[in-house]
Amino acid sequence: MNEVLLSNQVIVYLLSESTLFFLLLVAFIVSLKVLLKWDFESFTPLQFALEKQAYLVTTIILFVFAMKFLLIVYFIFSIDALSLLVPGAMCGAGVITANEYGSYLLILKLIILFFLTLWLYINAYDMRTKDHKWFKEKSWLFSFIFLLILVELGLDFSYFSHIDTHLPVSCCSALFGQLEGANPLPFGLTVPLLLVLFYLLYALVILTIKTNQTLLYILANILFVYIAYYAVVYFFGTYIYQLPTHKCPFCMLQAEYAYVGYLLWGSLFAGTYIGLSNAISTLWLKQNHKRSQKNVTFLLSFFVLLCTTYVAVYYFKNGVLLA
Amino acid sequence: MMNETIMMIQIENLNRSFEYAGNEVSVLKEINLNIRQGECVILKGVSGSGKTTLLSLIAGLDKPSSGKVLIEGEPISKLPDAFASELRAKKIGMIFQHFNLLEHLSVSENVTIPLIPSGLKMKEINKKVNTALTLANIMHKKEILSSRLSGGEKQRTAIARALVANPDIILCDEPTANLDRDNSLLFIEILKELHSMGKTIVVATHDPLFDHLSFESTVIPMVDGEIREMSV
Repeated sequence: MNEVLLSNQVIVYLLSESTLFFLLLVAFIVSLKVLLKWDFESFTPLQFALEKQAYLVTTIILFVFAMKFLLIVYFIFSIDALSLLVPGAMCGAGVITANEYGSYLLILKLIILFFLTLWLYINAYDMRTKDHKWFKEKSWLFSFIFLLILVELGLDFSYFSHIDTHLPVSCCSALFGQLEGANPLPFGLTVPLLLVLFYLLYALVILTIKTNQTLLYILANILFVYIAYYAVVYFFGTYIYQLPTHKCPFCMLQAEYAYVGYLLWGSLFAGTYIGLSNAISTLWLKQNHKRSQKNVTFLLSFFVLLCTTYVAVYYFKNGVLLA
Repeated sequence: MMNETIMMIQIENLNRSFEYAGNEVSVLKEINLNIRQGECVILKGVSGSGKTTLLSLIAGLDKPSSGKVLIEGEPISKLPDAFASELRAKKIGMIFQHFNLLEHLSVSENVTIPLIPSGLKMKEINKKVNTALTLANIMHKKEILSSRLSGGEKQRTAIARALVANPDIILCDEPTANLDRDNSLLFIEILKELHSMGKTIVVATHDPLFDHLSFESTVIPMVDGEIREMSV
């Protein structure tokens, strides 16, 4: 059997994902039944039974979703640990690109986490109403998420069972380095322009939060995540590693760099997910949560401040910036 | 004061059944009942007749299998737990057979507890607690640990706790089952005073002392989860 599939981290990870999927499968079947027969105005035995089942389903989903947030961290930890098994890999970057499934799996996981956050928002609004006003919306969203998680589970098994431990992979320097002078930045940007865009978009995100420009906020936040990713990998990351040639989104997750990557990516994605979920709730359900806006402001500001601090500290210590 | 027009509690086609050993056991069957504001209703019946279950459904502690319970016109049988708790905190005071006091707390601390989530200032809370303790005639034991009280005193503490939020409805589940005759009569006197204050009272009991009260009350016999003929 594949050496990767027998590693402790992968066994624990796949077993956890499979168990959670089984729970979700039960919740999905029950929720479909509830959704099709739901009539809150009715006081019949059937409706009372459906309400009890809906409560059970919601409890199961809440538990599974909470676990999914923890499992993404464990997934990152696992692929990082696998770099010891995969020749050529220095960190998770090499392992995730070890076959054609890895990148899709990682992107899908990030998308799923966004929809989980959105579901948690709708559920919170639903629980605040006496008549479960948003029950159908959250149930349909759950059905959609379940299908995504089904695909994710398939990708999980495909990815881990197709990692060849005899085939060398590229390390992060090869994957993210500027090979043969090619510009890896989007829209033909240079690093200085990338940084201008990074800070401008951050300012726009905060401004649109303060002025409640929901549509503009969604656009600005999506653009900000995209630009922030490149800014971290191709500029701020080099200050974390203190090496101008070291460009990698994964190495900063290692103990060598005090696991700062978890804090950095965590604050960026948490801020974005909370912000987008709140914005979509505002447009879709006409519900706005003021405290979420404060949380987003805090998380994204923390992310920007953390990135900037690495550059500032380096400059104050050495009197120069990295070329 | 009694108001003839306002319905405080309305129960429509209420059923409650439980599953036991694979069989469905029907505890309440098609209960229909209207209780006016300020009315005192005595639910009489032997153990297992469904009195406690009915009280739990009125308090929103349990959900029916079918049918409606309305408090002041608002259906509560489907209220989510958070809303049901809020309703109980504002509108319903409960007195239990076993008192349900926290034994390691004093009388006044037990009575204070229902007001903690209200967000009132301590000064206001103390004022309300003292009023309730006086009304329940337990003020003199205010600082005593509830574990050191007699049965009658525990019941009066429970009454004060039920009254402290000034609820419109008082629900009592076998309130005299653990009391001697003198304390039972004392309890009935307090009940009379609450009735004169316009509180809506529902008592579930099998105690014959409640058969002929000295104030206006409606006795509703319950047999096997059903309401039989009523007497005033």
